[in-house]
Amino acid sequence: MAEKRITIRTTRFDPDKDKAPRLQSYDIPFADESMVVLDALNHIKAHVDGSLSYRWSCRMGICGSCGMMVNGIPKLTCNAFLRDYWPRSITVEPLSNFPIVRDLVIDMEDFMHKLKSIKPWIIRKQEYPLGAGEHRQTMDQIDEFRQFSECINCMLCYAACPVYGLNNEFLGPAATALARRYNLDSRDQGIKERLPVIADAEGVWECSFVGECSVVCPKGVDPAKAIQQTKLDTTMRFVLPYGNRDE
Amino acid sequence: MRHDVARKRRPAFTHLIWWFLFAQGGIIAAILIPVHVLVQGILGPLHIVPVVDRHYDTWIRFLGNPIVKLYLLVLIAAPFFHFAHRLRYLLVDLGVPAARTLPAQAVFYGGAVVITGVTFWVLLTTAPLSFG
Amino acid sequence: METVTSDVVKEPPGSAEAASAGSAPRVYKPEMPLGWWLRQRHYFLYIVREFTALPLALWLLWLLFEIQRASTGPKGYYPPESAAFVVFSVIVLGFALYHSYTFLSLAGVIINIKLLDKPIPSRVIVLSQFAAWFVASVVIAAVLIGFAR
Repeated sequence: MAEKRITIRTTRFDPDKDKAPRLQSYDIPFADESMVVLDALNHIKAHVDGSLSYRWSCRMGICGSCGMMVNGIPKLTCNAFLRDYWPRSITVEPLSNFPIVRDLVIDMEDFMHKLKSIKPWIIRKQEYPLGAGEHRQTMDQIDEFRQFSECINCMLCYAACPVYGLNNEFLGPAATALARRYNLDSRDQGIKERLPVIADAEGVWECSFVGECSVVCPKGVDPAKAIQQTKLDTTMRFVLPYGNRDE
Repeated sequence: MRHDVARKRRPAFTHLIWWFLFAQGGIIAAILIPVHVLVQGILGPLHIVPVVDRHYDTWIRFLGNPIVKLYLLVLIAAPFFHFAHRLRYLLVDLGVPAARTLPAQAVFYGGAVVITGVTFWVLLTTAPLSFG
Repeated sequence: METVTSDVVKEPPGSAEAASAGSAPRVYKPEMPLGWWLRQRHYFLYIVREFTALPLALWLLWLLFEIQRASTGPKGYYPPESAAFVVFSVIVLGFALYHSYTFLSLAGVIINIKLLDKPIPSRVIVLSQFAAWFVASVVIAAVLIGFAR
């Protein structure tokens, strides 16, 4: 039986030589049913073209490094099986809506700034000494925010978001979902520090609820829901009497 | 890609209000509009059922009722804040970034305010108040 | 409020020496194509959902005109009759139903109400909104038809 093969087209861009990205085709053996797109890229780098650049680390859907556009849809390439595409070819491109540094590597600086701006950590008005004991939470209190804490910062949601694509100033899905994760945490007292960022003109109000961010999330986080709920909660804070008082 | 080097971030109250009116208008439009289109726009003109606006007498008496006046004000005015918001962002989506600017906001939301005023005036002047 | 600064133009890692002032941009910034919403079904349906505002607005303007027309007196008033108007209403009804379906489904996901400390499942909220839509439609239809006598 002839060896099974698959065609992978990847974006190539060398900032020293190229004015714009181009696609390059590779025909590689599809040796094993469990192969994912990331395996195919690793095969190309090891056996065909060592100059191909891309990010990856854990290859098990935890690190969030290997997000790329696979046939136009943002995916973790470690979680995109070749068998779901074969015998069609697969086009791998860098995540949409981000500047391209080289080949499949995008510039994630903007996302890092946004992530930091919402202060994704527990803020206390007054820190107790460690000896004073732990901050206790019930299971119901954990369930309030649990799904939003699953975010691995893979940026697939930003690549899926046309609002971010049209206006890079928009705070975007993952950052808002993480802001909500901390705002809903019963141990956190930092909502007033995050409010200026999330309720800013370039914050949640820019979102027009396309909803694709929640569709592409590999961890089942629902950023679209986080953003709409933040809109509603923020409105209630300022519309209801005493809504904006300190908890 | 600039990172808001100096711009101070703060809650945008106008955006908050326009969004709130957008959401209210959206739910009112969703719940009330389809039945009006069906009854007044299709079943009435096709003579399938008798409808209040088919005859002058029933229509003017109906419009004179204060509860009907209030209802029609909500039915017509509230959705326009929803439409204004959606159409402004639709323009942004279709590649008109100017729809994000303050003048565009004034035109779209101002338009909804104007339509609210016109509706109010039409309802007040069309049929005399009657409680019959 | 902390402020963060960064350069407009980034340098790819490991080639800092290659970048000098006035050289070609070090990153490629893709532009969003104007037809982005035609590339995927989900984006297209989103644009249709947003577009529903236009036909609904036109129909409500017609209703406002219809109310205003009643002030012309019994002689000048004639009920809407034309086939074009019925066709227009049929098209608007399609968009209206799509708006109602999408808006009520999505609004149910957003509303976060708790009963006895347990959040109400969004399925229940969505269903109750559809029920409210149905009840309101029946009542309004009954009024519009009932007052015709």
